Amino acid sequence: MNILNTPEFRRRAFFAGLGALSTAALVSACGGTTASSTTGSGTPVDGGNITFLIQGYDTGWVSSKTSISSYEGNLWGQITDKLVYVNEKGELSPWIAESWEELNGAKDFVLHLKKGVTFSDGTPLDAAAVVANLTAWAKGDSTRGVSKVGLFPSSNFVAAEATDAQTVKVSFSSPALGFIATLAYHGCILLSPKTLALPVEAQADLSQEIGSGPFVVKSWKQGDSYVLEKRKDYNWGPAALGHTGPARLDTITYKVIKDTSVRTSTVVSGQADVAFNVEPQEIESLKGQGFTVGTPRYLGFVDGFQVNTQIFPTNDPAVRKAIQHGIDREEILKTVYTSDWSAATTFIQGNVPEAGEFSDSFKFDADKANKILDDAGWAKGADEYRSKDGKTLEFTLTPNPYVPSTKAEDELIAQQLKKVGIKVNLKVVDVAGYAAVQASKPPLFQTSRSFVDVGTVAGVLTSQNKGEDWFGLGTSDQKLNDLSTAIATASDRTSREKVADELQQYVLEQGYFIPLNQLVQRLYLISPKIKDVQYNGLAYANFYTAWISQ
Amino acid sequence: MTSDYKRFALTRAGQAVVVVLLAYVLTFLVISVLPGDAITNTLRDPQHGLSEEDIQRIVTFYGLDQPVIVQLLLSLGRFLTGELGFSLQSNLPVAQIVGDALPSTLTLATSALLIAIVFAVVIAYGAQYLPGKWAAAVRSIPSFFLSVPNFVIGLVLIEFFAFRLHSFTTTDPNSAVATLFAAITLAIPVSAPLAEVLIASLDHESRQEYALVARSRGLSEAKLFAKHLVKPSALPSVAMVALIVGELLGGSVITETIFGRDGIGTVVQKAVTGEDQPVLQAVVSLSAVVFVAVNLVADLASPLLDPRVKLREKVGA
Repeated sequence: MNILNTPEFRRRAFFAGLGALSTAALVSACGGTTASSTTGSGTPVDGGNITFLIQGYDTGWVSSKTSISSYEGNLWGQITDKLVYVNEKGELSPWIAESWEELNGAKDFVLHLKKGVTFSDGTPLDAAAVVANLTAWAKGDSTRGVSKVGLFPSSNFVAAEATDAQTVKVSFSSPALGFIATLAYHGCILLSPKTLALPVEAQADLSQEIGSGPFVVKSWKQGDSYVLEKRKDYNWGPAALGHTGPARLDTITYKVIKDTSVRTSTVVSGQADVAFNVEPQEIESLKGQGFTVGTPRYLGFVDGFQVNTQIFPTNDPAVRKAIQHGIDREEILKTVYTSDWSAATTFIQGNVPEAGEFSDSFKFDADKANKILDDAGWAKGADEYRSKDGKTLEFTLTPNPYVPSTKAEDELIAQQLKKVGIKVNLKVVDVAGYAAVQASKPPLFQTSRSFVDVGTVAGVLTSQNKGEDWFGLGTSDQKLNDLSTAIATASDRTSREKVADELQQYVLEQGYFIPLNQLVQRLYLISPKIKDVQYNGLAYANFYTAWISQ
Repeated sequence: MTSDYKRFALTRAGQAVVVVLLAYVLTFLVISVLPGDAITNTLRDPQHGLSEEDIQRIVTFYGLDQPVIVQLLLSLGRFLTGELGFSLQSNLPVAQIVGDALPSTLTLATSALLIAIVFAVVIAYGAQYLPGKWAAAVRSIPSFFLSVPNFVIGLVLIEFFAFRLHSFTTTDPNSAVATLFAAITLAIPVSAPLAEVLIASLDHESRQEYALVARSRGLSEAKLFAKHLVKPSALPSVAMVALIVGELLGGSVITETIFGRDGIGTVVQKAVTGEDQPVLQAVVSLSAVVFVAVNLVADLASPLLDPRVKLREKVGA
């Protein structure tokens, strides 16, 4: 039944390399003509149309139901605004909220809104509209099948109320330091109250999705193409982007082209301006020809493994430590990725302000890994694999199908761990199968997830407060419980940073999480004539300031 | 004859309905036993971070917490009344998703079928009448067509005609020229079995007495081919029409992906990877209806076209 397992698709996979080769040939053939045009005049000009090639718009337009996929996030970013802007370094700055106050130990917040902002249907974006949005993000509406926004601090949310037309007061039952940062998350997009009141099926209709962003939807054909047009009266973009007034481009056309090599070649041949997600291996050659390849990092967890501490063989701390030190992350970066990727220094991405430097606790050291296993009684047998009490030291790894490069990554890890006597079996599954693997709680589960505020981390480590219990510890590790609670309920940032440091060190030293590298999940191939594309902290390209050089 | 034919037609039509219903039920059951349920898949994506409570709410909203048999009966009831439901992935009505994708696929498939027929006839003619070693080469074309992957043909055509010769742009895949190249991509594998059957029956017919007689009376090979051989040789090929419908649908998934066309193929692929049950159910049922209808028409037509086809044998089988 599954198309991905049909001979047709296996054959296709086999020949994928051939496709990449033909792209490479084309890329090098067209190279000379574009390389010289990178240095245009530096003064932005108004007008022009660009075409953005994207892989698909698969999950629909209900912003709160499934949160927002990479695909929808790109389009939403142009047609909606947020209360707060977050840049690539994780720094927050005003947007629709001109300023905010944090009161009562981060339990109460007051948002002061910009004046004169309107949705494209003419409705004012005032305090009442913000209250409607905040309430929808925090609570959803089960009767209409609308869910809350995943990362929103909803369990301690009490209420949002308009104190006057430009002021909103938000209260929580316990400290919510992450609240302001969450307002910059790509799920927290401001929609017209009329849209929010629609049933879920009507919300899935893009023409009914009314935002206040610099662009509006002009026309669209589901799954095929989406034309956005600039709003001439727009004048409330984030100050951090360094531009006021309407956007410079007249239109942006999002066009679905599923095949990666065709997307790349189309931009290289000049038939389109931007392509989403090119092959990492092609980045160098594309850059050499004058193309811009945007590889923004997002705020969140690094690419790495959650460890199940309750199951053989990762229930042995020595095995966890040996895996930490047995993986050569430099080799992974060199072999699978390019210089645009960087090594992990902890289990959260380096652009999160609280990310620490704990590389030593998982530095590659095969001798150390071997010694740890020797000391713990794992003896090497004739087949070079270790065993103890008659059981071979082995487990199965399942590459994360959401990040295609993890297959090559895991193959390399299997080779590396073989050198310290650990046997790694690989099992490749599709997205559906991956959910089943996660449900079966394997020893190592490859994960990557974005967040905007480090306080969110507490919600995944243990099972307390309905946490996701990533390591299978429940609430058995008292120190981890205490650290999680401390980070979730911290009421000032200085003390939280200290706790965050302690937490990262503890998790890594216990081998609860095995970091690999800092993930780049959203890549942008951009024609040399497109200037001033900016990226936010969630690695989304913003075309508000972009312009076309002559 | 007429009452016999009526009975035959009714029985065949009844069988067709049963086949469609069985396809529906089977699809439903197969999707239900796939690893990882739809909800796990769409809602438990680690990027979403939805809590168990949220997931439960959505499950209840869609009635997915009912036993499989209840779900099946509900779904079957809706299908019979023409209600196709909403996509789990996009919340859009399934009828709209399928309706939007259908015209593009129909255009592609029809053009591909016509081109495939032309290819097959040309290949068969060449195999029959070209001088020895050329004919042998032409005879190997069908196996060559079958062995080159669809998407390689597509990528090569795109590279030369779109990127080098600028005959069309990949950003406008529904233009006439782009459609033509997509149709050629799809026609190549489809033409292979057609050509093979046509070659075999031409070989057979041209050795028949009537062909020898015609030839001995000085009829030119071209006239013989067009006037006498094509019609009888085409009959076995017509019988392959159902197989070709399947090939067209299967091939369209890849062709549409390569050429960036929105169509039924891509709808199926999305629905399968996302385990979007209502959409998958609708598309499979639609394919079953098309498949069964084409066969039904062929079956009902054959006794009218060829009196030698015996009704009783067909019914009694």
